[in-house]
Amino acid sequence: MAQWQELQSLANTSLEQVHQLYSSVALPMEVRQCLADWIEDQNWRQAAEPHSSHAQMLFHSLLALLGDHLGSPGLGDEDFMLKHNLRKARRDLQAAFEECPEKFANLVANLLQEEQQILRLAQAGQQGGVAPAPSTPQQSDRQQEIQRRLADFQAALQDADRAFRHLEDAQDMFDFCYKVHYLPGENRTNDPEYIRQMQGLQAKLQKLDRSRKDVLAQMQQLLGRSETLQDFLQQELGAWRERQQSACLGAHVDTSLLQLETWFTALGEGLFQLLQLLRALGDLRHKVTYERDPLQAELPLLETRLRELLTYLLQNAFVVELQPSMPTSSKRPLVLRTASKFSVRARLLVRLHDRSRRLEAKIHIDRKPPEIRGFRKFNILTSNSKTLVAGDSPQDGLVCDFQHLTLKEQKVGGSGKGSKSPGEGPLAVTEELHLITFTLAYAYRGLELELETSTLPVIIISNNNQLSSAWASILWFNMLSTDPKNQQFFVAPPSAPWPRLAEVLSWQFESVAERGLSKEHLHMLAEKLFGSKPSPESTLAWPKFSKVSSAWQRWHLRSPAPRLLLTHSLPQDSTSGFSFWAWLDGILGLLQEHLKQLWKDGLILGFVSRKQEKKLLKGKRTGTFLIRFSESTLGGVTCTWVEHPESGSPAFRAVVPYTASELASLALPDIIHDYQLLAEENIPENPLQFLYPDRARDEAFGPYYSQRQAGSLMEKKEYLNQRLIRVSSRQANESRQADEELVAATQDLQTLQLQPSGPGPLQPMPCSPGTLQLVPGGPEPPLALQVGSGVPELLQPGPGAVEPQLVLQLVPEGQGMLQVGPRSLGTLQMLPRSLEMLQPVPGVQEMQQVGPGDQGTLQAEPGAVEPQLVLQLVPEGQGMLQVGPSSLGTLQVLPRSLEMLQPVPGVQGMQQVGPGDQGTLQLGPGTLEPSVALQLIPEGQGTVQVGPGSLEPLQPLLESLEALEPVTEELDMQEFLQSLSEEPEPGSGVLETLQAAELMPSTLEAGDSRLERLSPRPARECQQPWGGTAGPLLGLTRCVPQAAPHSWTTATRSCPRPTTQPCPP
Amino acid sequence: MGQGSGRQERSKKLELATSETMQAEADVQNDKEETRETKNRHEQLRLVFGMADLKNKAIGLYNIGQTCCLNSLLQVFLMNTHFTGILRRITVPPSASQKRRSVPYQMLLLLEMMQCGKQKAVSPSALAYCLSEHRVKLFVQYDAAQLLLTLWNLVKRQVTNAELIEKLSDLYTIWVQEYMVCQECSFETKRNSNMITLPLSMLDSRSHLLKTLEQCLQHFFFPEKLTGCNMCFCENCGKKTPFLQSMKLAHLPQTLILHLKRFYLTESSSIQKLCHYLPFPQGLDFNAVLTEEQCQADAGEKASWQYELFAVVAHSGSTDCGHYCAYVRSLTECKWYCFDDSEVCQVLWDDVKCTYGHSDLHWGQTAYLLVYMKKNPQ
Repeated sequence: MAQWQELQSLANTSLEQVHQLYSSVALPMEVRQCLADWIEDQNWRQAAEPHSSHAQMLFHSLLALLGDHLGSPGLGDEDFMLKHNLRKARRDLQAAFEECPEKFANLVANLLQEEQQILRLAQAGQQGGVAPAPSTPQQSDRQQEIQRRLADFQAALQDADRAFRHLEDAQDMFDFCYKVHYLPGENRTNDPEYIRQMQGLQAKLQKLDRSRKDVLAQMQQLLGRSETLQDFLQQELGAWRERQQSACLGAHVDTSLLQLETWFTALGEGLFQLLQLLRALGDLRHKVTYERDPLQAELPLLETRLRELLTYLLQNAFVVELQPSMPTSSKRPLVLRTASKFSVRARLLVRLHDRSRRLEAKIHIDRKPPEIRGFRKFNILTSNSKTLVAGDSPQDGLVCDFQHLTLKEQKVGGSGKGSKSPGEGPLAVTEELHLITFTLAYAYRGLELELETSTLPVIIISNNNQLSSAWASILWFNMLSTDPKNQQFFVAPPSAPWPRLAEVLSWQFESVAERGLSKEHLHMLAEKLFGSKPSPESTLAWPKFSKVSSAWQRWHLRSPAPRLLLTHSLPQDSTSGFSFWAWLDGILGLLQEHLKQLWKDGLILGFVSRKQEKKLLKGKRTGTFLIRFSESTLGGVTCTWVEHPESGSPAFRAVVPYTASELASLALPDIIHDYQLLAEENIPENPLQFLYPDRARDEAFGPYYSQRQAGSLMEKKEYLNQRLIRVSSRQANESRQADEELVAATQDLQTLQLQPSGPGPLQPMPCSPGTLQLVPGGPEPPLALQVGSGVPELLQPGPGAVEPQLVLQLVPEGQGMLQVGPRSLGTLQMLPRSLEMLQPVPGVQEMQQVGPGDQGTLQAEPGAVEPQLVLQLVPEGQGMLQVGPSSLGTLQVLPRSLEMLQPVPGVQGMQQVGPGDQGTLQLGPGTLEPSVALQLIPEGQGTVQVGPGSLEPLQPLLESLEALEPVTEELDMQEFLQSLSEEPEPGSGVLETLQAAELMPSTLEAGDSRLERLSPRPARECQQPWGGTAGPLLGLTRCVPQAAPHSWTTATRSCPRPTTQPCPP
Repeated sequence: MGQGSGRQERSKKLELATSETMQAEADVQNDKEETRETKNRHEQLRLVFGMADLKNKAIGLYNIGQTCCLNSLLQVFLMNTHFTGILRRITVPPSASQKRRSVPYQMLLLLEMMQCGKQKAVSPSALAYCLSEHRVKLFVQYDAAQLLLTLWNLVKRQVTNAELIEKLSDLYTIWVQEYMVCQECSFETKRNSNMITLPLSMLDSRSHLLKTLEQCLQHFFFPEKLTGCNMCFCENCGKKTPFLQSMKLAHLPQTLILHLKRFYLTESSSIQKLCHYLPFPQGLDFNAVLTEEQCQADAGEKASWQYELFAVVAHSGSTDCGHYCAYVRSLTECKWYCFDDSEVCQVLWDDVKCTYGHSDLHWGQTAYLLVYMKKNPQ
């Protein structure tokens, strides 16, 4: 086909060959060009035989065509030369070959053959050159081979078609001659003319016979090649199936069917054409047949073979394009829940169908249920048949999309038991494999078939909590089963070779959080599974993967405490109360919900054994930490950091793992950012400084910190922002963190959340006893407020230490949780109910807010260094007291000089007094001398403590408590403050700074800038909005022990002299 | 003339080569007549033969009446340069009638036709008529293995030169030693026997399908117990006793033909074809397949047991009607060709692999005869 055109499009070197070819040949190129298609369409080779009438016919046809061409109007004046040349060529040809047309036929046949040769060589050369080109780098050799073979196949098919038409002509000619010349009735054996005719007839028949055999041989060859092609397609399809299976398990692979569909359709089309050719050959046989007709013997054979091949092709072409999956858990297909919708799609890759017939696909479940006792039976609700839709555009393909299907279990014998009771069958519900099958009645061009295809086995669950273990089964099956229809797989599930399992596990992480498992991760997992020496030959048994070992169960019964870290004491293979898979799936869930980005960006080391962890951290400087998944908690993540004491070996510390519930209220980067370790002898600090191996914490996690709004206090806000932080405390001699507490340090409007634990460490309250005072609380106010201003020497060793310190201490009541929002440097501390802890916080110039309960906030606004404000509020129940005319009442207490205290309504003020049972109101003393402490005792049993100021000044303050009550009952703030201001206030020398403090909005800036210098973290990070709501806060209350409310102490300390405030350059 | 103008250069070459061959052939005949062969001359001739075989790549053979089986076998023979080397040296029969009746001579003529012709295929009619005079009829479907034996025997019988007969035998004959051991008295008999093909069963002793060619070979050389009605008469015991029959491989020829017995007898004693998947390797090392006990050969002989696949005669269809084609790897070009009667095309190993068989395709091509060639001819 179009050989001449192809020839002309060749590269120059090949064109040169063509020119050479035609330079010496008797057939001018003009003629070749003019009649290209006709010349290529004739059987010159056959005509080239001696005395062939065919040759004569062809030769004269050619001359006639040339004549037609010359007379055609298509040749205008500009083609005058061409016209002339053609005319000359016609004359020459006629002169040269009139007598021997078969020579001319031979010439043309050879010429065409030479052309083909040139073409083939050139194309081979081109392919050689094209292969390494970047245009088709993704194509494998096999894919290229398929393309090439498809093209060859189509070309060969055209050849066969042409051969068939020649055969048809030859037969017609023979038939005609036979009918004209063969006269069996008469005896004309003596007629030499008749004998000559008969001989001619016999020769024609011989030729016809040979032509038939030739065509048959061509068909045989074609079928043989198409078998190879089919084999290639089969391999590609197999590879696709494997890819699809991998994709189901979470691998990122290309599962597009487009290419395959094109190939299958092309081959199908070709084979159907071949089938038609064979039928047409059959028709020829019906017209003319003779003894030992090759068509008679070989045609049926060929047709059987071809039909078989077509059937095989079509059967394989019917595939499940989208495996069944529920829209709710699209990343975990093949797990279906009863009564939940799912969808599935089948496709026929051979895009050929009879438009006048409907192709209807039916869907079935468990057509041939396996013989397993207790095997559940299901019905597919909604319509179980669907017409294959063939879109008008060829891209659409033949698709049947089943959507909104649901499954319903068949009740067995009316017993009413819907679900399987344990022990009923050998398989658990999540190990029961079901097959969904499609059938399609296909009919096209006389070929009628029933095609069938099945999904991968699905697992049918009735409850979402079965999803995880069902998915484990899906993993195991698709990883290991050699037969995709083996529903008995879990009767005797094979063990998984570790390398394969590792790959599949990695996919899980890849699909959930876009980053697979590294070699180190897998090494750790292998160690966990196989002991100390994992080898590539190791295999894991199914029960070990997915079932809880009995050893653990025994252990679990002995030690019910769930939050203890007991990994050391456990046997190797049963570290926890859950299966390996459940553990891993917990981590996957955690990643998906909370840690996706961190994992994706590689900040989580994740799977590190304790041994490895120590090895990694040992050589690193103090404060180097890594994030890893807990091995003892379901879905837990923890940080481990290293400390190098001055003497002795390095210590490794880790916090009790955070789980989803904790991370829901505070993201891990923020936890790391604000994390505080409270130690007996130290000031609280964030021990997490450098992410392993050597990356500054804020550099690594900076982008992930939640945004904090710049505290634009000019805006009117209904509520204050809050922020959570977490802290741990430990006793000096403890090697590990036995427990965890949560503390929040907030920037300006924040919330602290405290989560005391059982045996929480005791921290001595650094107050001099003398500063403590008991104040009998009035009966009404159910508020307890305790302010203790610590003795500086106690809190801060070394008198030279300048920083003023603020300490707030809150004790939650009942299930209460305390929230304290300190201003900048986390300076708030919480004490659990039982009051064991008093913790100094090295703030400088804080203003603090405490928001108890959901809504309460306590705010202290520091002006500059000296003035300190502390408010402590305790809400009652849910109620919230507001002070001040606006909703944002402000309660400010300036310890230094009470005159300076002013309520700021609305804008910058902070407000809020919560008169709950356990409310506290705290006042921060300014410097040493003046200290104010308020202490409210809820319901009589509390005590009021006053900070380290002299007792005297405090008394009046306490009296002002009376005034406080009215405040809570909407007393004017001014009055309250004035009553406070009646306090005699010494230390007038610091008045200026107090005034500075008064200018809240403006001095805030100053305070911030100072903070920047004082605190290790940059100011911008302190300006993130707090986005939490009451919800997550409540979530943290569960761990608060139910100790009886006792008393609370809030100690506030400030530096002795404001003038000595450190001002780092 | 037309040809001359169309493809001058090429036809010149062809003519030159043709005349060379003719000359060489004439030389051979002269040699024969003189019966004086110098080694030098011999070497030169071989060179010429090599060139002659190179000349034309692969030419089809027209089917002249159910001759697909014959055509396939002829291609396997004639593409084998070791065979054609012998064939070219045969003595030409003196009379015309003898020429007509001589199978090797007709084969040689056919070979010449194939190599000189311009056609894509030639008709083996003369050879077919010659064969029909030896009771190999036209228009009859043959079993390829059976026809191969007939053909080989005819050739061997009609080659008159003893040296050539010797060479022919060397080229194709497999030598084995058969052992019979009486299980009662340990009396042992052994005899040497030879064969042209190794007929390999596809089923093991428990009628399970064998999975690979290697397994088939192993099974072939696995000792078999003859008990029950298969018991043999032991001279020593003087009665019929159970025997252990075993076979040891003694010698493998240059051209080794394996016959895959892809059929079995059903209970209704009809013959069914076995279409199952049975892969065979391109390279075959008998030392890796057989155990020490299954061989009876010296180290030098064993070292030569390295084979490379040369040809596959494949069958498609059922046992009673079908079609043969041949896949042959040209020894000069090292390329695979598929010969489907008059249709010849170059193929890849992947196409040959399609003859492994497929349990779902009962009408597809399955390898029936495998021809292996020794890797390093000595």
